[in-house]
Amino acid sequence: MTPVALKIDVYKDVVINKFIILAVFLLLYSSATNAAEVQAVTHTSVEQLSLSKLELRRIFSKRVTKWPNGQPIVVFVLKSKHPLHQRFSKEVLKIFPYQLDRIWNKMTYSGVGTAPIVVPDYETLISEVKSTPGAIGYGEGITQEGGLHVIQIKE
Amino acid sequence: MVKALRKKEVCMSFKLRNSFFFSAVYSITLLFGFAITNVAIAVEEDRKLQIHGFIAQGIIDASGSDFVNDDQDLSFELTEVGINSSYQISDNLRLAGQAVYLNGGNRYAEGARVDYALIDWSAYQSLSSQLNIYIGRYKNYHWLYSTTRDVPFARPSIVLPQSIYFDGFRDIAVGGDGIALSFKHNKEGWGDFDFNLSYGTSIISDKQRKIILSKLSTGDMEHDLDYQASIYWQPQDSQWRFGWAGLDSDFTYDMGKNDSFLDADITLQRFILNALYEGENWEFSGEAFQERFVFTGFYSPYFKQDNLGQGFFVQSRYQWKEKIRVLARYEKFFANKDDKNGSGLEESSFGTIPSYFGYQHDAVLGVSIDFTSNLRLQLEHHWVEGTARLTPVVLPNAAINDEEHWQMWAAQLMYWF
Repeated sequence: MTPVALKIDVYKDVVINKFIILAVFLLLYSSATNAAEVQAVTHTSVEQLSLSKLELRRIFSKRVTKWPNGQPIVVFVLKSKHPLHQRFSKEVLKIFPYQLDRIWNKMTYSGVGTAPIVVPDYETLISEVKSTPGAIGYGEGITQEGGLHVIQIKE
Repeated sequence: MVKALRKKEVCMSFKLRNSFFFSAVYSITLLFGFAITNVAIAVEEDRKLQIHGFIAQGIIDASGSDFVNDDQDLSFELTEVGINSSYQISDNLRLAGQAVYLNGGNRYAEGARVDYALIDWSAYQSLSSQLNIYIGRYKNYHWLYSTTRDVPFARPSIVLPQSIYFDGFRDIAVGGDGIALSFKHNKEGWGDFDFNLSYGTSIISDKQRKIILSKLSTGDMEHDLDYQASIYWQPQDSQWRFGWAGLDSDFTYDMGKNDSFLDADITLQRFILNALYEGENWEFSGEAFQERFVFTGFYSPYFKQDNLGQGFFVQSRYQWKEKIRVLARYEKFFANKDDKNGSGLEESSFGTIPSYFGYQHDAVLGVSIDFTSNLRLQLEHHWVEGTARLTPVVLPNAAINDEEHWQMWAAQLMYWF
């Protein structure tokens, strides 16, 4: 093997190694991003398996309070300052959390409706949605087998 | 004969309203009784019962006017307390009620009242529309801040723009006894629409009558009819919301014994346009209106006044820090658009009512600090020009309000749950 051919070979190895490192990094990065993706989840009694962002916004802002089959929608949320609530509001519902607070306060203190049920932590949110027929909430990294329906969110 | 019939009609309507009032009070008492004794059971019943409330106390100082009190001293007459309950009877029926105690000095009648007590019937539902019918004592759902004008943390400032949210008319404008309808429709590509209708009247207490007319009036004031409607539209994917509201309201005054005044009829018609922008840190809002105020009788059988008043406010709020929000607002109000400087008013009253009773403009700066998610301190300062939105409305108090320019500041601590 000539010194030139050896040099090319070594160079190839370096390129391949770098490529593998990059691929692994991308894979890890993408799985990390997927794990953090915010999801809408419902009780298994809910027939809707996909909802648009607009429909979700109507549900969480309580402009719609029943599923199409007449079952009441029970909305569970975390406190307004919770990072997951903030992300779900902004990224999925496209509404700022303070706007949701205002809508709910207006309903609660003027008699026109009821606000969602605010739960203290994420674990309670998931367990309430799992155990309450007609319930909807949000989560992250939940698989379909987790005793909940993970809603496919359409644009 | 006609007069006798009218008296009888008024009397019957008064009895009906009184009977409604007592049933409303009775229902709400039952509701709260139920609420208190059954909290634990109800929570287990899929959270059909919700209880919320608020308490707020402040200090307010209006110097140069009798807006808060006649002596114009620093006052603690800035108390608002409320408790409400909502109980879901079935999938389509819900009971809701709120009782409040308010003390605002001269601004409105001090005391406890049933703010709303209603049955909410969810008449139609789909994933894009919702129709609700409210029967009983409902709140005014038509203007930008009318639903929560007494809920300290849910309004933009301690004292709302008096051009539209005139405290002197608070008990009449806050809601009514009757029926209200709300239809929400969401149209793909267009956005969200809200249609509201209401028909009902309010009970006018002696204190409210004196606030509107004069402390010297001894008769009965009745709210005979009140139709209101509003439409709101939020275009899809927009931070803006636009609204229109209208109202038509009639009142009669039946003179009392040894009354200084005669029978009177009052008509109030109003149109409002409003817009609201809610961004991440910035918020802009504004309302503009025109109202017709027709006043006949009272001083003499031939007296008639038919004025078109106009007003508007523009307001901005900015989330400066995570817990601090600042507010700036400017507002103008003319009691008669054809007499904006009030000179005609002064002339027609032979100089007893100064011209500055013909308008009231207000510039406000404020700040609110959130200590926790349900404890807030709000502070604001008002620079006011004119006295057209002071009470009594019909017979102004020019002796106390002898300054065209006056100022007011207020601070209020509020807690809610």
